[in-house]
Parts: sequence; structure tokens; C-alpha cells
Amino acid sequence: MRQEEYLAAGGRVYGLSADTPGQNSAVMAKLGITIPIFSDEDKEAAVRPLGFDDEKDPRKISLPGTVIISPQGEIAYRFVGRDYADRPDEDDVLEHLRGLELPATTQEAVTPGPAAPGPTAMPAEGLPHYFRGAKFANLALRRRHRHLGEEFTDDTKAYIAMVDRYLDALSDLEERRA
Amino acid sequence: MSVDFTVKDPAGIPWTLSEHLDAAAVITFHRGDF
Repeated sequence: MRQEEYLAAGGRVYGLSADTPGQNSAVMAKLGITIPIFSDEDKEAAVRPLGFDDEKDPRKISLPGTVIISPQGEIAYRFVGRDYADRPDEDDVLEHLRGLELPATTQEAVTPGPAAPGPTAMPAEGLPHYFRGAKFANLALRRRHRHLGEEFTDDTKAYIAMVDRYLDALSDLEERRA
Repeated sequence: MSVDFTVKDPAGIPWTLSEHLDAAAVITFHRGDF
């Protein structure tokens, strides 16, 4: 997350999930995140009205994606991922934000509340292994299914680039904590 | 269409979007329990 670039373009960055505040606090603490992750537990406030409810999945989760709300309260940009592996291109998000021509802003760092991770939360030390596994499985599938064409190749390339960004962020986090 | 909603912050305190729109809000939706 390129927070400084968003702030320079006049946007504050927030996370949002259908998890409890305790689960979101656990994620913030685990990943060293200082932007708040908000909780919409019944999905009725923001997840469903903004089109992020995953109707195919009965669990308390939302589809990944990003929305920009202008200072006038209007939706200036919305990307709803097709599934958990589909995230917006941050260059695209920033371009839309810059298009609003807003003055730069600031954002206070937020301290997480009491952490209460859920039963399926992955421990921090497992994350690099998880992402490396996801990356190499994708590389293998890309090689195996080259014949499927450009759309498949582009999708796997985008996913691998995303995983590489996550791995870099985890490496930075590890260095900061060392 | 104007958007507004109230959710809970990480400490469990209600947070209302319209009270923070002196700047744009870039909201990333997470799958959850990661």
C-alpha cells in the first residue's frame, strides 16, 4: 500500500472487512499496519451496499477490492475482485484519485485494539511460506497451461506480481522488527 | 448517489464515513481473518 502517494493525492486509506474489531486488530498488529481496518460484521453497512458481498461464499467474508469516495460522498472509483486472487492495480487506483484534483492530506497512525485472531488466521511466521507456495504453484500452472492464451497468462502474471509485492512488504516488516 | 455508512474501528468504536470526508476515502475491502 503506497500510503504516501495516496495522501499526496488527497486520499486517506482505510481497510474494511466483515471481521470483528478484535480480528482486524490482530491483522494490523501482525502486519504492522497503522491505517485502521474497519469492521462491518453483518455486511449491511458497507460490504453489501457497495457490492462486495460474496454471494457464493456463506462465510463472513467479502470480495476484495477498492472504492474511492470523494469528499462529496460520491463513488469516484470502484473495483470489485472476481475472487480472492483478483486485486486492483494500484497505479489505476492512484490515477483515479489524482483525477479528483484534491489537495494533499494527512492521516494519523492508528494503534490496534485488543487482538483476538480468528480460528483460521495464519501466524505471521507462516505468511512468507504461504505466499512463496502460492507464487510457485502459479508459475507451474502458467508453464503447464501456456496454450490457454493471453488472458490466462496475464491473470497469472498479475497474481505473481501481487504476491511479489506482498513478499517484499513482509521482508520490509521483518527488517523493521529486527 | 451519496454514500455514507457507520462501521466499527479496531477498538470497536463506531466510525462514520461522512465525518471524515474532508479528504477522499480510499477503502480497501479485505477477505478477512487472515
